[in-house]
Amino acid sequence: MNAKELIEQIKNGDDKVRGAAWQAAGNAGSTAVRGLAELMFTGEQEVARAAKRALWKIVRYAGRPAGGDETKAVAKELVPLLASGDPNVRREFVWMLSEIGDSDAAPMIALLLNNPNLREDARAALQRIPGDTSLRSLKVALKNGAEDHKPAIAESLRVRGEKVKDFPNQKLVPRKQTAVKNPLAV
Amino acid sequence: MKPELTKTTRRSFLKTTGVIAGATTLGLPQIVSPRVFGANNRITLGHIGVGGMGGFHLREMVKRMGSGEVNIAAVCDADEKRLANAWKTAGAQAEVYRDYRYLIQRKDIDAVVIGTPDHWHAVQMVHAAECGKHVYVEKPACCTIEEGKAMIAAATANKVSVQVGSQGRSQPEAYAAHRYIASGMLGKVNKVTCWHYPSPSDDKPVADSAPPPELDWDLWLGPLAWRPYNARYCHGTFRWIMESGGGQIRDRGAHVMSNAMYFMNADHTGPATIEAKGTVPAKGLWDSAMEMEVTYQFKNPDWTLVWSQPGEKIPYFDETRKKKEGIRDGYGAVYHGDKDKLIVWVGDNQVYTEPKAVEFASKPGGVDVYKSPGHHDDWFNGIKTGKKTIMNIEAAVAVSNLTVLGNMSLILDRKLKWDHAKSEIIGDTEAHRMMSRPQRYPYVL
Repeated sequence: MNAKELIEQIKNGDDKVRGAAWQAAGNAGSTAVRGLAELMFTGEQEVARAAKRALWKIVRYAGRPAGGDETKAVAKELVPLLASGDPNVRREFVWMLSEIGDSDAAPMIALLLNNPNLREDARAALQRIPGDTSLRSLKVALKNGAEDHKPAIAESLRVRGEKVKDFPNQKLVPRKQTAVKNPLAV
Repeated sequence: MKPELTKTTRRSFLKTTGVIAGATTLGLPQIVSPRVFGANNRITLGHIGVGGMGGFHLREMVKRMGSGEVNIAAVCDADEKRLANAWKTAGAQAEVYRDYRYLIQRKDIDAVVIGTPDHWHAVQMVHAAECGKHVYVEKPACCTIEEGKAMIAAATANKVSVQVGSQGRSQPEAYAAHRYIASGMLGKVNKVTCWHYPSPSDDKPVADSAPPPELDWDLWLGPLAWRPYNARYCHGTFRWIMESGGGQIRDRGAHVMSNAMYFMNADHTGPATIEAKGTVPAKGLWDSAMEMEVTYQFKNPDWTLVWSQPGEKIPYFDETRKKKEGIRDGYGAVYHGDKDKLIVWVGDNQVYTEPKAVEFASKPGGVDVYKSPGHHDDWFNGIKTGKKTIMNIEAAVAVSNLTVLGNMSLILDRKLKWDHAKSEIIGDTEAHRMMSRPQRYPYVL
């Protein structure tokens, strides 16, 4: 199935047609990325969902051991999609790149460390993407990023094997109080 | 014709199944220092996650509180309605918390029971162990390979007793099946085939919305990437979402395959290859496989484990008992040996097998296997004596990894190669990267 056919079938009103299309989307390749992304932003609930799942299929097929240039081509199409639009849609692109992205994707992902809605996803992706560029992005964020995000950045750096003296892990610090009143006291 | 018991000694069974010398089924090794409790030997508990199975465990422990065996000091849940109900169940002596980190830092609490959704198991178990608490955590143990490694490391470093809730191992007829197989009555077992009915599809999808006021959605999501609340996501329906519940294979697979790994004496082994095929819902939020078949190929010794949804269902043979005891025979496994085969129905709080295994009597000096006093009691023994539990964290992670790898093969649509000694996927960069999934801060390992 080529990209054009895939997009048309994803837009189809019949669940069965859409479902079969996204499940067979893996080899549609990088040329289908932008069209599917557009449907994720603008499509009706189930069309957008089918487009998202088709795109995940493409990402995972491209990431196969024999993926070669296809992996890079799909990642390259995903990177510009990080720039703008509904953060709940862009979050998917960040996680897709966390699986197949490389140093070329890291700078654009790093920009999202300044976005309150996406900074945790960006941090996770940079933690996951190997190489110096992603590591350097995390180091820069620890120096210049939002103060309240620095403990999280520090944690990612530790996972990457870096020694970070400041910003101790807050994972065991309780934060949330219950409002439940003792029902037995009533 | 029945094979003669005397022809298969324990040693020869271990040899025929290729079990590593020194592995034990009867006496589980000691892993933690025995703890000294008060004069009454009472264990003080905290319960984290009190709906679903968490609610079941709470009610069970309330029964034990009456006999002075335990004290329930605290209950915790991200859903305030569930928390209020749990308080009524636990009694006025219990404190209530929304945030489990208050609970695990209390010095008077010896042990915690974790009954939260799957995506919380590893983080909460690791945090509790780091605070010195013994842990009973629901199955499956982990959602990623790295989570499993962290759980083992935390239990070991902090010398705490961990029991994972694959309670099928502790059922009386599981003991019978285990003993029968260990006695060589099937000969060399070279294949185990599991059956289970399919996962559902979401035929009534709804749009994302604001969470109900009683639910702390941020805390419920915890380690998962942020996403808006959706009414089809929780509570119990988290099971049908890959990132959280992983479908039937992670739910019942963690029971049926737990028994398979135990009976095959394969707890400390793993498959060499994993290959899954399946179908997922065409629409809706739920994305776990409805039907699937996963083939795990083990080497040295060579045997095959097959997880099938639906597979070939074998109805329980005794209709009268089935109705009387409400036997749910929608899942189970067949153990295929070169001399005979054995059917084991269900796998969780119900395990049933064929009369030939139940009625089997070892001759003096014959093979016997560990007989659990019950899953909770086995955990308490672990806490008090330092002995490994029947579903200890190493065994549970090995089983959980089967379910994780099965799902991973399905979503990647390719065969995976697994190096069990290193606990890692080999020859596949993307799959290797997927062995861990960075968690949302501060809900990190």
